Order: sequence, then C-alpha cells, then structure tokens
Amino acid sequence: MARIGVFVCHCGENISATVDCKSVAESTAEIPGVVHSVEYKYMCSAPGQLLIQEAIAEHKLDGVVVSACSPRMHEPTFRNACSRANLNPYMVEMANIREHCSWVHEKGEATTQKAADIVRTMVEKVKKNKPLEPIRVPITKTALVIGGGVAGIQAALDIANGGHQVVMVEREPSIGGHMSQLSETFPTLDCSQCILTPRMVEVYQHPNIRLITYAEVIGLDGFVGNFVAKIKKKARSVDEDVCTGCGACWNKCPQKKIPNEFERGLGKRTAIYIPFPQAVPNKPVIDKNNCTYYKTGKCKICEKVCLPGAIRFDQPDEIIEIPVGSVTICTGFDVKKTDFFPEYGYGKYKDVLDGIQFERLASASGPTLGEIRRPSDGQIPKKIVFIKCAGSRDPAKGIEYCSKICCMYTAKHAMLYKHKVHDGTPIVFYMDIRAGGKNYEEFVRRAQVEDEVQYIRGRVSKVIEKNGKLLVYGADTLLGGKPVLIEADMVVLATAGVSNEGAEELAQTLHVSYDQHKFFAEAHPKLKPVETNTAGIYLAGACQTTKDIPDSVSAASGTAAKVLGMFAQKEITREPIIAVVNRISPPAFSTCVGCFMCQPVCPYNAIEKEEIKTRDGKVLKELARVNPGLCQGCGTCVALCRSKSIDLQGFTDQQVYSEVFAMLNDI
Amino acid sequence: MEDIRKRAKQLLEAKTVDVVIGYGEGYGKKVKAIFVRKPEDADKLIYDERCTQNIGVYLTKHEVKHFGKAAIVASVPVMRTILQLCSENQLKEDDVLTLGITLEGKFLEFPTYRTLENFLANGVQPLTESDKELMAKIDAMSISERWNFWTAELSKCIKCYACRSSCPMCYCNRCMVDYNQPQWVSVPSTEIGNIEWHLMRAMHLAGRCVNCGECGRACPVDLPIHLLTFKASEEAKINFSAVAGLSMAMPSTLSTYKPNDKENFIK
Repeated sequence: MARIGVFVCHCGENISATVDCKSVAESTAEIPGVVHSVEYKYMCSAPGQLLIQEAIAEHKLDGVVVSACSPRMHEPTFRNACSRANLNPYMVEMANIREHCSWVHEKGEATTQKAADIVRTMVEKVKKNKPLEPIRVPITKTALVIGGGVAGIQAALDIANGGHQVVMVEREPSIGGHMSQLSETFPTLDCSQCILTPRMVEVYQHPNIRLITYAEVIGLDGFVGNFVAKIKKKARSVDEDVCTGCGACWNKCPQKKIPNEFERGLGKRTAIYIPFPQAVPNKPVIDKNNCTYYKTGKCKICEKVCLPGAIRFDQPDEIIEIPVGSVTICTGFDVKKTDFFPEYGYGKYKDVLDGIQFERLASASGPTLGEIRRPSDGQIPKKIVFIKCAGSRDPAKGIEYCSKICCMYTAKHAMLYKHKVHDGTPIVFYMDIRAGGKNYEEFVRRAQVEDEVQYIRGRVSKVIEKNGKLLVYGADTLLGGKPVLIEADMVVLATAGVSNEGAEELAQTLHVSYDQHKFFAEAHPKLKPVETNTAGIYLAGACQTTKDIPDSVSAASGTAAKVLGMFAQKEITREPIIAVVNRISPPAFSTCVGCFMCQPVCPYNAIEKEEIKTRDGKVLKELARVNPGLCQGCGTCVALCRSKSIDLQGFTDQQVYSEVFAMLNDI
Repeated sequence: MEDIRKRAKQLLEAKTVDVVIGYGEGYGKKVKAIFVRKPEDADKLIYDERCTQNIGVYLTKHEVKHFGKAAIVASVPVMRTILQLCSENQLKEDDVLTLGITLEGKFLEFPTYRTLENFLANGVQPLTESDKELMAKIDAMSISERWNFWTAELSKCIKCYACRSSCPMCYCNRCMVDYNQPQWVSVPSTEIGNIEWHLMRAMHLAGRCVNCGECGRACPVDLPIHLLTFKASEEAKINFSAVAGLSMAMPSTLSTYKPNDKENFIK
C-alpha cells in the first residue's frame, strides 16, 4: 500500500481566502494510501519545506502531493526539497489549488470541494508514479548563431569572449543587418555605422568565431548540446581566400544598373558587388541573375582585371555539416514596402518612401551622400510628411500589433531632416506617441520643441501625386476630425515591421514554433523570453518581434548568458519526462510492431529505428526507439500508437487514467 | 487453376520459394487457406469463386514467416495487402512472390512489388452491388438516423474479434483492446463498449484499409462493419488523396505532415 503525504498550502491568503485548507487536509486524510495530511501557511518557505522533509522521514512516505500553486511555479522547489530527504523527486506531484481553484472561484463550500477533488486526483496519480532518473547528455561546446545583424554580432561576441567556439551564418554577402543601413540612431543620434562597423570587424577577426556569409541553414538534426547543422554555402563565384577586396572587379563591371538591395532600390550596383563599402567580409559576390557572363556566356571582365585571380565562375554551392551545441536565432525582421499601401500610391510614387529608404537618404554613405533629395527629381524637399502606423495597429491590414520602433525613428527622421534642411517643414501624422524607454520621451520632446517638428494626431486617408507635389489628405482628430490637406514634397511611411522572408521555413527547419505573424515564439513571454520551446535553441533580436537596437542587444546578451551557462556544464541534465517504447520478453521484445507511423508525427525527429539482432547479427525485429536526448515529451507519438506501445514517463496512460477516474469520483 | 498449380510446383521444386500460400478444399463445400511446402502437394491448390478470403492476413504471422520465402495466390485485395504491408514496414520489398489473379480471373505472376504497383494503377476491385446499395442507404440517412442504425447493428456484436483476426492490417502483437493497464475499452459485449471497439477499429484502419471486406464476411452475426472502414477509406481518399495498397512506400495517411501543405490550420 502506498504511503502518501499531502501538504496543503495556504499561500498566505491566496488560497485560504476562498478555500478551507483545514477541511481539505482532513478530507484528504481519509483517502486510502494517504498516511499524513497537513496544512501550512507557506509550504514553499524554509520551515514549510522542512515540514515536508521531516514528514518523509517520520512517516516513511513514498509519495508526496503538495497542494499549492501551479507546478510551473514551485514544482522544482518541492522536488528538490524531497530529493534532499531521499525521496525520488519524481514521486512528488503538485495539486494546483491556486490558479485552478482559489484564484478563480469565490469563497464557498463548492470551492473547497473542488480543491479537495484536485488533491484527490493527484493522490491517485502519485499512487501510479514511478521513480525516474534525470537524463544526462554530453555537450558539443560550439554555438551556432544564425544571422549577422546587431543581435547576432552581440551574441557571437559574447559567447566567443566567454571562451567558446562560435559559427555565425549570414544569408547576405555581408554581416551588419539592418543596423548597417541606418544613418543615425535614437535617442543619442550617434552614427550607426560608426558604432557597428568596429563590432563587425571584431567578429571577422575573432579567433573563436567562424564566419560563414552568403549561406543558409538548411537542416538541423540532433538535440540540445548535440545538434548537427547543415549549412548551404551559396557560390560567391569568388575565392574568398584569394580575393583581397581591392575593388577592381566591381569598378570595371559593365552591368551598373542593378537596383541596390542595400540602398533599398534607391541606388544602383554592379553585378559583381559588395553590398556597402564597409562590408564584412570585404569580398564581392557575383549576382548570377544579372551577370552578363552567366546570362550570355560572354564578358569575364572581372576575371581579366582581377590581379590575384580570385574569380571562380564554376564554383559550386557547398553543403557543410557542423556539430554545434546550441543555436541562437537572430534572423531579424523587415519592414513592409510602400507597395503594400494602395491608399499611398501602391509604391508608384517615387517620393513616397519607407523608413529604411529614408535612412539611406539621410546616411552619409547613401546614394545622395547624406543629402535629403527627392528620388524623382533630385530636388531638396521643403516639406515632408511622415505617416506613422502605416500598416501597424491596423487589423484590416492583418497587422494588429504595434511595431514599437516607428514612433522613435520617425521622431529621429524628422529631426535629421530638420538638421539637414534648416528651412524644411517636417509634419508627423500619428495615432499615439509611444516613447517608453530610457531618454525616449525626452528625445521626442526635443524633436517637437527644439526642432519644431509639427505633430498632427490623425490618420492619412490618401496621398495623391499632382504636378510634382504629393497631396496628403488627413484629419486632425484633436480638432474634432477637421480635414487637413498638405501639399508635401516627400512622404515617409513608417511601415509596419514584419517577420523576415523565409522565417517560417527556417522555423520549420529548426523545429521551433512561431506565431501567426511568423515571428519566432519564445518559450514564455515573461520568464523565458530568449528561449524557444526547443531546448538549446534561443532567440534574440527582431526575429521575435520588432525591436530597437538596445532591446535586440540585451536579448542577444541574454541568449549568450544562456549558452555560456549551458557550456559551463560538463553534461546536460534533462527532465526524464519523455516517451518510451515498451520492452517485453522475447520473442516479441516489445508490443511495438515497427509500423513507424509515429516517426512522421514526431516534431523533434526523436524516433529512430532499433534493430533487435541475434548474436550472429541476424535482424529479428525492427522496433521504434525514442531518442531520450531529443524527445521533449509532447506525447504525440503516444496518442498515435495503435498498440499503445509508447508511454510518456511521468504522464503514463495509467497515471492520467487514474487522474480522470479520481476526478469522476469513480475509483 | 492449372497455371497456378504448375507454377507453384516449379517454384517449390526449384526451391525459389519455401511455401506457397493458397486456397484448398476444406470441409463440406468450403475452401480454406493451405500452405503448400512440397512440390507434390501443389495439386491441392484450387482457385474458384468460393476463394474470397483475404489470405494476405497470414503473411505477417510468425508461424508462416518461419516457413521461409513465400509465394501467395493473390486476388486484387491480396495484392493491395502486400503493398500496404510493405508501406507499413511489415514486409520487406520483394520478399513475397505474387501469383496474381486479375479481376477477369486471369493468372499473372508479379516478380516484384514494382510490377504490382504498375498493375494496380490500372484499377482495383469495385464494391459489390449489395455493399454499394447499403452504403448509399446509410449515406442518405440523417446523422441521428445513422447513429440509431449503427447502435442497433453494433448492439448485436458479441465481441468475438473475428473482424480483427481476419483483417490483414490488424497485425499488432497486442491489440489496444487487450491492453488492460488501464483498460481503455470494456471487455464484455456492452452497447457502449461495442461502439468504442468498432469506432476505434475504423479509425485505426482509416487510410490503411485495402477494401477486401473480410471483416464483414468473417462476422458471425453478419454486421456490415466493413462499411465503416470502407467509408473511412473513402474519406481518406477525398480529404488526403490517399488510397491504401497502391504503393509499397505510401506515407501513412493520418500521421504525415508536409511543410508545404496548403491547409493553413495544420501549421
């Protein structure tokens, strides 16, 4: 017969205000198998834990039910406490009478009865519990960082400075990300390139960092501490080891009219190019879709002018496999382009720009060398209208969320404009000004007061181009919705920040979850903001949701702390809440018949084929086997198995069945 | 019939196979499955309109596997059984030699599963007229009428599990109904327990049933239970374009997920 101890916690008044804890403890004492049942004001306090430990010794308990808060809160606390009293920690269960009962019901007999029912359910579960041992797995102490924007750079440097190897994979020919496109940064107006470039170089030169640019992660096998990343290194058509980055090739390339992605279409580039002068690595790539040689088979001018002879037209794509212990996803975001907005001209009007295009205009390294000029005629605009929340906070456009960064960068844009064009008039249309953050409100205030940026609260219904001017039809809602018509020379849309291209495919490749907007999902919005639901895979920067630079960098350092914490251990200990395929005596060996229907449903690729062999190597049977390092205990295979040959440790069919029947009062 | 006997004899004499699974005379006017292991016994093989049993059910029995390499006299449902079993990792590719009988009654040998696939691509056995009629009748019923029809039918079930034993796809060593810790499905024949069993069986066979109808023929109380699995196959075909037993490497219908699935709900 089981010897179970039940410990009912008052949680101060959190539980006892609505639940009669004494009555719960008394009624629980009647359940067969319960030998000890008490209540206490704070079970999680040191004296409370001691109370449990003493009871385990005194009453020779072989199972414990702590009836208190959610297991997410204190299950580890009580499992550790019981483990110190020599009880296997997996013989301890939490009965959640706080979130599931006292917090959601009013004081009364029914509430107390529900609490007693919850406790009885867990008592019946504990009766079927079995002692379990944590799983230990070794660690490959190399970190993979996907994405070389500011978040990826920070994460990589922090981990590398911690003394571990880092592999950084960047999709574009150069690292730097969106931050390298920015002119100046809020709230201090320091030059983006000036603070970022040294860090990019540091990544390139760091002895612990292996930088792989123009490459993508196309597969990830394995499990926490033991992943194998499959990386596709696209052909640059240039031998990186030979190239000196002298620039002869891109200066001589005859294809000069290709829209430059880095300038977001405002400038032109050649077919063999580096995205921007400070690119790291400073090695060009050939854009095969636009190169004359790849299109017609003739040209090869770059090859002729290349003194070191680094051009390789026949270079193939390369697939490399690298064992890594952790993965940090820093793939960033994008902003909607102006063609997303029919009301603002479908992207047809050349002088309607998105935020990043304006950054390029304002940047000293941009297509106008830092002068604000209209893309249509090169004139200096005398009046610019900035429209905030273009797409954001607009359920009709499918983007309900606030993009968070636009209030600040629009204030910055308006200021930069005013600083460069002293007689210019910046006008901002806004819904709300959200300037939460250190020195943020002061920054916006400065734009309004010192730089005389005119803020109009209201939306813009349409923009029409007429005689070289942009007619902006808006409303001023602080003046009772009075229509406003502004004749502007340029319109800058603070378009919504959205998930980066390919984010969904990457999430599926890495087996991590993502939200309806295809941003990567964190494991817990508050307490695990840099972890994903897959152990060993972390998130930093704007791939999670649009973030400004300080937030991206803090998150990146957060992931680095997580990675370094993991790498500081010899091996990883994991909860043994995993699926297990049963084993029975020969000749069956298992009730598993090896149909492997479980294999495709496993989101973690944890199901392997196991061969039962005779001594001379003859295969007697093929069985499914769950890799304990990979399994996350989701239970999908358990539900699918026709012969019920897989069970989930800690949540076995028997345990859950007992719980259900206890709940139905049918034991 | 002569073709089968001749070929079986040759195969056994040449020791190409160790056993030929086929039909032989049973008691009275009945036929039964026979396992011919000696060339001289090949004359006991018969094939006529009485030979409807899906003898593919024996392919996964370890007693039969023990005989060694097998050839099997296979009507179209048996051929589908072979391919489906191969898809489900229960048979290795080409380890069974198929002595096929076409829908027109012609003898045709299939040395490889690939040739079986090619043959079955031309069409499979149609439903019988009586099945078609009853299926149409059930389809025309309202939900409540259908529920009443099936509860009335299934209340007659005596839980003998003949349907399970006759089904070539029910090859588990331990069936879920034999699982007693906990006991998911009640042991005795009760109204709710019977429904549980038959619904479970239909779900377990959804997308896997090769439409042989053996369960219905095996039922001693003549319940049209094969229509449950037929209907599930039909649904699998409509919803997932999955037809069991046409390919030796068909991904399992109810557990396969494609990243490029056009249905968004699944992502």
